[in-house]
Amino acid sequence: MAERGEGGDAPLPASIYSDEQTVWADVSPLLEAACRDLRDGELIHGENFSLFAAMSALEIMDPKMDSGIEHSGYHSIEEAIEDGAAPIPLSFDRTVDVQCTIDIMDHFLACEATWHKGHSLAQTVFSCIYLLRLDRTSPHALLHSYCRIMRATCAAVISVVSDARTHEEEDLFTMAYGLPLKGEGDEKCLSMLNAVEETISRQLRACKASSSKKGILENIEPLQTNLDLEEGYCKALLCRLRFRKHFYHVLMCMKKPQGRGFELARKHIASCLSELAYIYNSLEFLGFNAYGSCQNDIEDSTTASGRQPVGFDASLNSRLAAPTPPRAIKILSWKKAIKYFEKLLHDLDTICSFSMDPLLEGILRFVVQFQKSQPDLVARAHLQRLLVQDGKLYGRDPVFDVICRAAAVSDVPKNSGIQKSEIVLQLGQLAINLLKILCTNAAWQRRKLGKILQDWSVIYVQLELASKRDFAETPNILTDVNVSMKLSKHLLIWTEEQIYWIASRFLMLGFELDLYSPTEYCMVYWYMYVVLIKLAEATQLRMGTSSDIAKRKGKKKRDLPKDLAKDSQIPPMVLLLQCYICLSEGLTMMLAALRNEHKIFQRPSAFNTEEERFIQHFELLQRAHVPGHISYMLFKESTSHAQFSTLVRYNYFKDAQRIAKELRSSFSSDSDRLVELRQIEQVAEHNWIALNVICQAGAEDPSLKISFEFSHHPCFAIATVKRS
Amino acid sequence: METKTSEEAEGASVEFEPSDIEYVSYGGEHHLPLIMRLVDQELSEPYSIFTYRYFVYLWPHLSFLAFHKGNCVGTVVCKMGEHRNTFRGYIAMLVVIKPYRGKGIATELVTRSIKVMMESGCEEVTLEAEVTNKGALALYGRLGFIRAKRLFRYYLNGVDAFRLKLLLPRPEINPALLMAANNDNSLLHDSNKPPEGSSQHY
Repeated sequence: MAERGEGGDAPLPASIYSDEQTVWADVSPLLEAACRDLRDGELIHGENFSLFAAMSALEIMDPKMDSGIEHSGYHSIEEAIEDGAAPIPLSFDRTVDVQCTIDIMDHFLACEATWHKGHSLAQTVFSCIYLLRLDRTSPHALLHSYCRIMRATCAAVISVVSDARTHEEEDLFTMAYGLPLKGEGDEKCLSMLNAVEETISRQLRACKASSSKKGILENIEPLQTNLDLEEGYCKALLCRLRFRKHFYHVLMCMKKPQGRGFELARKHIASCLSELAYIYNSLEFLGFNAYGSCQNDIEDSTTASGRQPVGFDASLNSRLAAPTPPRAIKILSWKKAIKYFEKLLHDLDTICSFSMDPLLEGILRFVVQFQKSQPDLVARAHLQRLLVQDGKLYGRDPVFDVICRAAAVSDVPKNSGIQKSEIVLQLGQLAINLLKILCTNAAWQRRKLGKILQDWSVIYVQLELASKRDFAETPNILTDVNVSMKLSKHLLIWTEEQIYWIASRFLMLGFELDLYSPTEYCMVYWYMYVVLIKLAEATQLRMGTSSDIAKRKGKKKRDLPKDLAKDSQIPPMVLLLQCYICLSEGLTMMLAALRNEHKIFQRPSAFNTEEERFIQHFELLQRAHVPGHISYMLFKESTSHAQFSTLVRYNYFKDAQRIAKELRSSFSSDSDRLVELRQIEQVAEHNWIALNVICQAGAEDPSLKISFEFSHHPCFAIATVKRS
Repeated sequence: METKTSEEAEGASVEFEPSDIEYVSYGGEHHLPLIMRLVDQELSEPYSIFTYRYFVYLWPHLSFLAFHKGNCVGTVVCKMGEHRNTFRGYIAMLVVIKPYRGKGIATELVTRSIKVMMESGCEEVTLEAEVTNKGALALYGRLGFIRAKRLFRYYLNGVDAFRLKLLLPRPEINPALLMAANNDNSLLHDSNKPPEGSSQHY
């Protein structure tokens, strides 16, 4: 930009073309006059100026917005290095050098956890100057190999998350613009690390030998100069190196398709966890022997020693950080980082232990159960990559086969062309998308589940039409008609079940995400009750058709009456849904009675009525007719006469308790189910007691304080009655 | 965007009667610095002057300021427009300075803005609020907003947000038409049925 010279002649800026013919005019007086002429609120702008677009404007030099603003005083990485911000070696005192290296390793762990939790790579792991200029660390084998494996690990993690491609709101994660994520020789990172580990192991053996025996077994130079501390430092380094090695192995093993590497991965996970424990225990030794550290800060510290690590500067990368305003981020503490990795490893272990159930029903159950522990992005991406690869289940089973298995369809002729039909392809796509959606974070997941209901409903209608049409259009080919009629019927039943399953997940996730306020519980439980009844019916129908098949295959006529008796028994899965139905109905009625008699849990609002809130909450379900003919009026009619005196006679909660007890034997080998049955029993019990207390107290008792808590089950609340 | 109105007043609060507060519709450029100062000091997200101008230039009738003894103590900044076939209002910023919180000023500011939105034909009103902002959630809940969605790590500090939505009652239609619509069994029927019964208007 040109600057005003003293005499008034402005020097010409180099970037604007000019020659002897160019005439320059000074327009400053004109601009000043125009400014004076402008009135309050007036704005001069070009033709294509838009206020909306201008909102994205950044004010240059505003530190809240301008990520080019230099905070640290270093204009570049090179300048930082020249200034000694990342010395090699870290110190000429070998003990200090080792201490500083350990600090770097600890800070790396904290940065990595911070990155996983949703911050940019540039401001976390790649805030390390050593990592940004990896080659110059070559003389320092320990630091060099550690940085290299860090880099390779980050690249591997980005790869699995990118493959998943459903990390919507978490899209900061994979941004690595301008960062040196890959380098030559990274594939040898493990062998480099092994070499360093071998050296330190020998140093450890040597110092143990010299302390216990007279002579020195190995002629090896010690790690550092203070012999009393040699063992401690060797051990502190070894567990950190080994953790890195095993963690990298976990990622490589889990990358193998179809879960082929899972068994080995589990062994590496176990090693990781034990090394993490050693890392944590090194806190005492490192904190004690740290100079220049403040013991008070250890809770927040990113290193075990409590010291700030050498060689990290987050502001150097501020321009690469992300398309977000520049903001100093808080790196997770070292202790929290360890906790994060422990959880991540346990979540990965759960995935590796999955039996890779070929049945869709089992997979859905597994994913829902897995999500209960709120796994983070990296774990969820691994699950999704296992389940869906190349458009197939486990990268192996074609979707059509999976659906046929789920819908209990057998004997589909291979060349029938049915697999290529538009409807079947779409249904397959919906099934694959459903699996991917179920692996995303709960908030995003619920939104997507609501949206896809429309697509599933449309397919249902098409299947209905197709099943009638096929019959009409191909009257000659009798066998094919039978096949496609039967196929359509099974697919129809299965599709209906999936629709109601998705709807029930949508409603239940609302509780886990805290989307409902207590004044809305009544309508939510009512809607859940309605949806769950449909789900139970559809599930029973689908299970009935599969037992039909089993019945027909190889059964003799005289066995049929016995089977009939067994068939009338309701499957355990349906009975579990029955528990949910009883609890939902009980809660709906209790909340309705509280509103009708005690006038609580209702909200008269200034701008709308309960009807608008009903419409809003269930808009997506209503639009997809899941189910049809449900309206706010129906809800009001069902609940307007709820009274405590009648409620205590209808034993919804007692029914739930009874069924849950009966189910214990059916689910005796399934610990997760048993836990849930126990929760259901407790919810039923507490609510039954509350119901009786409220009923006895009477409507006019103002001292009763009733609240609803989710203390036992994430979706079914318990009424707590207190006397004030 | 953001709300800072915490219903639990912290620290020293100012004594005043509700009638002492003067509510004024955005009147022009002279109000802009007042709004900017309030929002800049209370809210954490950075806004450029163009952000403010966008709202108050295009929808001046939707922004309100609250004055006490000549000092601006609160403001609400909103917009409205067509969004996917719905005419929708949006509350972008709501601030009441700390000493004046907990006394209903924020509620009054929002109420005035929503009334103008209703008169202008808005079908719904929406905003985002941090899941930890109990004060805002209670305020909007009382006005009839529901928590329509949860937005994972919406804010720069990693906190989740709720998208809050207020569906305004639609005008009454002929009950006989509704009866016919309800009896239709076809799954292909478009079910954007208006609500039955009378709607209460504030």
